[in-house]
Order: sequence, then structure tokens, then C-alpha cells
Amino acid sequence: MIKTAFFTILTLVFFYIIWINNVFAPHETYEMPEQYKKIAEDDRYAKEGKQLFEQNCQACHSVRYDAVYPSAIQANPNLKALQEQYGKVLPRDVYESAFQAELAQLKESFGKVPPDLSTIYIAKGKEYLFNFILEPQKVLPGTSMPAVITGKPEETAKIISYLRSVSEPSSSEKAKRTLMGIGTIAYLVVMGVLIWIWRSRILKRMGLH
Amino acid sequence: MEASRRDVIGLAIGGLGVVGVAGVLYPIIKTLAPSAASLASAKVEVDISQIPEGNVRVVSWKGKPVFVVRLPANFQWNGTTKENDNRKLLEGHNAYALIAVCTHLGCVPLWKPQGEAEYKYPVFHCPCHGGFYSPWGDNIAGPPPRPLYIPPQSLQGNKLIIGEPGFVKEQT
Amino acid sequence: MLGRIGKWIDERTHLSDLWRSQMVDYKVPKNLTFPYAFGVMALVAFAIQIISGIFLTMYYQPNVQTAFDSVNYTIMKEVPFMWLIRHVHAAGANFFLAIVYLHMFTGIYYNAYKKPRELTWIVGWLIFFVLLMTALSGYLLPWGQLSYWGMVVTTEIPTSIPGPLGEAISVWMKGGYELGQITLGRFFGLHIWLLPLILLGLVSLHLYLVRAAGISNPEGIEIDKKKEGVPFHPYMTLKEAAYVMGYLAVFFFFVFFYMHHFLPPDNFEPADPFKTPPHIAPEWYLLAFYTVFRSIPNKFLGFVAFSLILLLLLLLPFLDFSPYKSARRRSLFFAMYIVLVISSMALTILGAMPPTPTNAMLGLVFTAGLFSFFLSLPIISIIEWGWYKTRGGDKT
Repeated sequence: MIKTAFFTILTLVFFYIIWINNVFAPHETYEMPEQYKKIAEDDRYAKEGKQLFEQNCQACHSVRYDAVYPSAIQANPNLKALQEQYGKVLPRDVYESAFQAELAQLKESFGKVPPDLSTIYIAKGKEYLFNFILEPQKVLPGTSMPAVITGKPEETAKIISYLRSVSEPSSSEKAKRTLMGIGTIAYLVVMGVLIWIWRSRILKRMGLH
Repeated sequence: MEASRRDVIGLAIGGLGVVGVAGVLYPIIKTLAPSAASLASAKVEVDISQIPEGNVRVVSWKGKPVFVVRLPANFQWNGTTKENDNRKLLEGHNAYALIAVCTHLGCVPLWKPQGEAEYKYPVFHCPCHGGFYSPWGDNIAGPPPRPLYIPPQSLQGNKLIIGEPGFVKEQT
Repeated sequence: MLGRIGKWIDERTHLSDLWRSQMVDYKVPKNLTFPYAFGVMALVAFAIQIISGIFLTMYYQPNVQTAFDSVNYTIMKEVPFMWLIRHVHAAGANFFLAIVYLHMFTGIYYNAYKKPRELTWIVGWLIFFVLLMTALSGYLLPWGQLSYWGMVVTTEIPTSIPGPLGEAISVWMKGGYELGQITLGRFFGLHIWLLPLILLGLVSLHLYLVRAAGISNPEGIEIDKKKEGVPFHPYMTLKEAAYVMGYLAVFFFFVFFYMHHFLPPDNFEPADPFKTPPHIAPEWYLLAFYTVFRSIPNKFLGFVAFSLILLLLLLLPFLDFSPYKSARRRSLFFAMYIVLVISSMALTILGAMPPTPTNAMLGLVFTAGLFSFFLSLPIISIIEWGWYKTRGGDKT
């Protein structure tokens, strides 16, 4: 009995540490004021965020999964024809070969092509993005990213809200998934309990209990 | 075993099991449904002033070929058709779009402004199995079971926008 | 009507005879404990991986240019419900390995590797090894930063073998001097065809051997099945079905609500051969081996050490030749088992920590713990043979 409890608890603690909250591994945390967090997590600011993105970021960055391309590429007349052929979201190989000149120019200005931001929200998280966009040099010294909207935390939060809306499922989709998850788990628990009760009945009938 | 079959719990497990199998199959079958991109309302704009009168241009909409027909003003057509559904819908428009897929087995019909065989006036002729359609896509003869489909479309000045509900609200 | 169709089929296939002889007349010990269910859970996890994997191949593109987008755009955003299938596959891989580890530790605890089950253990070890290869190859496919750099580090490990051999193995694994299209195509083929087919064969063999050699017993005594056994169906099948439902409930909790660990954020950046991500460590199921490799200052010795652990694990049935079975009856073995469990867990947790001198020291201590388990087994066996003889038989 003691052994069972010991091994059970040891296993559960172990998997809690490696899968859920590894207190031993190093974590970098960034601060983000609560009011801006709310803006970044709100779907309603995504549209405004997109406009802000177009004004401040689109000169260099793309959000390919939302068919937003750097301004130079957006101005290229070939873009429309390509989009008609391949769909709004161009395949990466097509995109990179068709707009090689524009991308090379961006590379020349910044040392590398500024990254596509389609999945950056999941990769970096809102806290990192908030601090980085506001003060790039402070978070990542030596980065070629210029401080574009330093001192405008609200606008930054709105841009993050836009990036989140591209990376993550919408809040209605999320609600649907939560419901599905609860339903699935409830189903499995009920099924397990029913099988257990059924089994004890059969065993009683068979005289095995 | 005979008694356990009537067992309520046994029934419940069986029933839940069916629900479970259905629950697993549902998302799997759903993955085979049209993707988000193909469901997105694609729109194609065509400048009808670029098409000579009496001609047809083929454009692509949602991956399907679509005829954009430009009829001359005061167009007269003397043929007889099996039905008049498309004509009624498109009457009064000199430029419109038809989905260029024969309703028989999916070939793309040809535009014959001078007529073909015994039909001496403009028709669409499907080369695969000999279907004939009027310029509005109504059946004249041949195997096609129904007129050509009409996509939703609207006209703004010289621009025919296929995919936007206008004088045709939804696909027939 | 259905009954008649069933009868028609049965008259020709004799499936009901097969069911009776293999499921009902097959008798198992009554005292099997909960950990014995890890086996069937592993089987369920394997089935889940195969089904979800087949659906993922419909949309995944094994091409360095488009792989990342096919995973993160087509699968995650475009095709309905494919996000679910990907979540299931990613969490499923971790759960599969977790269950396999638990299954192995159960086997060690109850000495299920001893005569007549040595081959069952060896085939199980092969499954474990092929499973690690499958996990490694699958990890490369999304072509994100972690995929790429994880594989860079993995293919560097053979270079710790001195001389031209190590370098040759490394180049041979990659199909060139750097990771590229050839590597991706090759690991795709391995991951979806070769390795799963090998696994399928090995798992079937493993199951057959479990039947042929019989299930071990927590008490370490072979039972007389005719007298003491209970019918596998319905006694064991329904019990395990209920456990599997519980297992799936936990699994789907992670699938729907906690994918953060199984789809790590860093892997949502496309592979960039010019930028290494800041924290690069293997997945948790390799961390113990990684810590052993890292703690030993000499690279070659580190390589030898973790290969030795794998080898000792394979040779377990021959290291332990004691007449007794099951940790329940073997106090010395039980003590060393605790050392094994604590060392493996500690090594895993250490693997995710920064490589400071203290951690390297701790790593060495627990590596020693791991080896002491394996090396103590022959000693314990000799002592227990002594007890066995003085007591004059199998009594405790």
C-alpha cells in the first residue's frame, strides 16, 4: 500500500514537472501591464491592429498566412496574377522565387529578410512581443529591427492582437474546441464507469468476485 | 448471456459505444470536407468592355471555368429550348456569366456564334456527347439533364463581378 | 437477420471458436495489478498514432520549402479538424513513449524479463529502440527551429566516435554534409513507412510471446492456470477497457487543453540554418540519455556510457539470474530498483537544466546510480542463490 502510493505520487510528480510546469528549467519572463494584455487578447482589436500593422510594419514584414506581403511586393503587379493562380496565400517556394528582387533588397537593408510573422505570436508570446516591439534593442541587443512605435504601448498591444488573430483560432472556434474537449472527457469517464459497473455484475454472476 | 443482453448497463454501453465510434468518425470524415480556402468567397472581376460583342471569354472562378457572354444589343435568337429558366433569369442583360461545365458529364462546351449542325444560330455545343445549349445555357438538345449553372454575379458599370450576389443572387 | 448473417460467416470462418479458445479459455492470474494495464494502453496509443498519422500524410508535404506551411497553415488552419488530428498525433507520441517507459519499469519491478520471458523482454527492447527512432524522425518533419536543430545535434552525436567512422555515420544519416531536402525526404520515408512497419511486426511478435510464455505474476510465482486462472474475457478485457477509458480521458485533456509542451512554441518558427534557438534540449524521453552524455567530460566516453545503458537494458535478463522473481519478494532488488527510478527521473530533470558545474556533478552521481543498478544485479543474484540453497528451495 505504501509502495503503491509512493510510486504513484513519484510518477505523477515526475510527469507534472516534465510536462506541465518544469520548475527546474530556466524560463525567461517578460512583463506586460494587465490593461495591454487585455487588448492583445481581445479579438475586437484585431482589425484596428491590422491597419496599424500596415502603417508601421508592412514596409518590411509579411504575414503570409493572412496574405499580407511587404509593401514592395504588394506593389508588384505580378502579385495579383500569382494569387489568382495559387490562391491568396502563396506557397513559399512560389513567393520566394517570384519576389526574389524585393526580398533581396530587404535582405540588403537589414542583413537578413525580416521574418514572416504568421506564427510569431505562438512562437514568442505576447509578453515578449510587447517588450520587443516597444524597445527592440533592449530585448535583443544588436537586432536590425528599428524602434518603430516606441512609446505607444496601446498601438503595440493592438498589433499583437492582430498577430494573435492570425496565429491562433478565433475565440468562437476556441469555445467550440473547449466544448468538444469537455464532451470527449465526460464521455470517456462515463463510459469507463459504466464498463466497470457492468463488469462487476458479470463477475458476480460468474461467481468470480 | 441471454439475460445480460437485456441489461440496462449493457445497452447503455452499447449505445455509448456507437456514439463514441460516431464521435471518432465525425472529425475524420470532416477533414475530407472542403477546406477553408476553397470555401472562401472568391470573386473574379471581368471588364466586359474588353470582350467583343457576340463573343465569349472563359475565366476561372473557384477553380471552375466560367463563360462570360457578351451579347450584341437587341440580340434576337430564334431557337427553341426545352426550358426557359436561365433565359428568364438573365433576360435583359447583355453580359453575364455561366459556369462552363456541361451538366451531362463535365466537359467544357464550345461557343459557336455561327451555329452548329442543324442549329443555324449562336449555340453552345458540348463536343463530348453532343449537348446543345442556348446562349443563356438552356438545353436545346442532347443528353444534358439540366441547363448550365449560373454563378452569383453583379454588374457595376463595365465590371461583371462573379461571386458577388447582384442580379443573380445565388448559384442556380 | 443480423444473427443469421453472423452465423453464416461463423460457419465458414469459425471465428467464435477462435474467440473462445483465445479469449475465454485463455486463463490469466487473478492478482494482476494496475500497472499490468500499461501494455494494453501502449497498444491503444500505437493504434492512435497509426490512424492519426495516416490522415496527416494526406496534407503534409515533405519538402523543405513547403513542409512548415503544410503543417502550420494547411493542417492547422485550412483543413477542417486537422488541428485535432495533429494535436492527437503530437500528444499521442509523448503518451506512447510515457506508457512504454511505465510498461518497462513495471516489467523490471515484477522481473517480467526472467525465464521463460527473456525473448519477450528483448523484443520489447527492440520496440523501445525503434520507437525512439520513429519519434526522432517524426520530430524533424514540421521543419521548425526545434525540428531542425534537434536533428543537427542528433546527427552530430555519432561524430564522438573517434576517427573517420563517426563522421561517416553522421554524413550517412544526413545524406550530405548538412540537413536538407534529402534528409527530410529520407526521414519522412522512415517515419511513415519503414519504422512503423517494423514496429507493427515487433508488436505482433511481442504479443505472441506474451501469450506463448504467459503473463508474469506480481508475486513472482508461476500459477497453475487451470486451477487459479480467471478467464481473460470478460475478467481482464473489461477491467482493461475501463482503464483505457481513464487513460484516454487524461490523454484528451492534454489534446484539448494543454498542448503547450507537446507543440513547443519554438517550433512555430521555420527552420533557419543560420540561427540556433537559445534553449536546445532533446525531448523529455531522451533527456536521461542526454544528461549521461553531457555529464561525462569526454565526448567519446559519454557516447560509450549512454550506449552501454541501452546495452545493459537489453541484457537485463542475463544480468539478473536470481532464482527469485518480483521486487515484492526481493528486498535487495527493491532497494536497487528505487535507485534506478530516482536516478532515471533525476537524469531526465537535469537534462532540461542549464549545464552548470553543479548540475554536471549531479549528473555524474545519478549516472553512477543508473549503472549501479545494472551492475548490482549479478551480485544480488549470487547472494539470493546463497539464500535459496540454505533454505532448500523456493521459499521466502
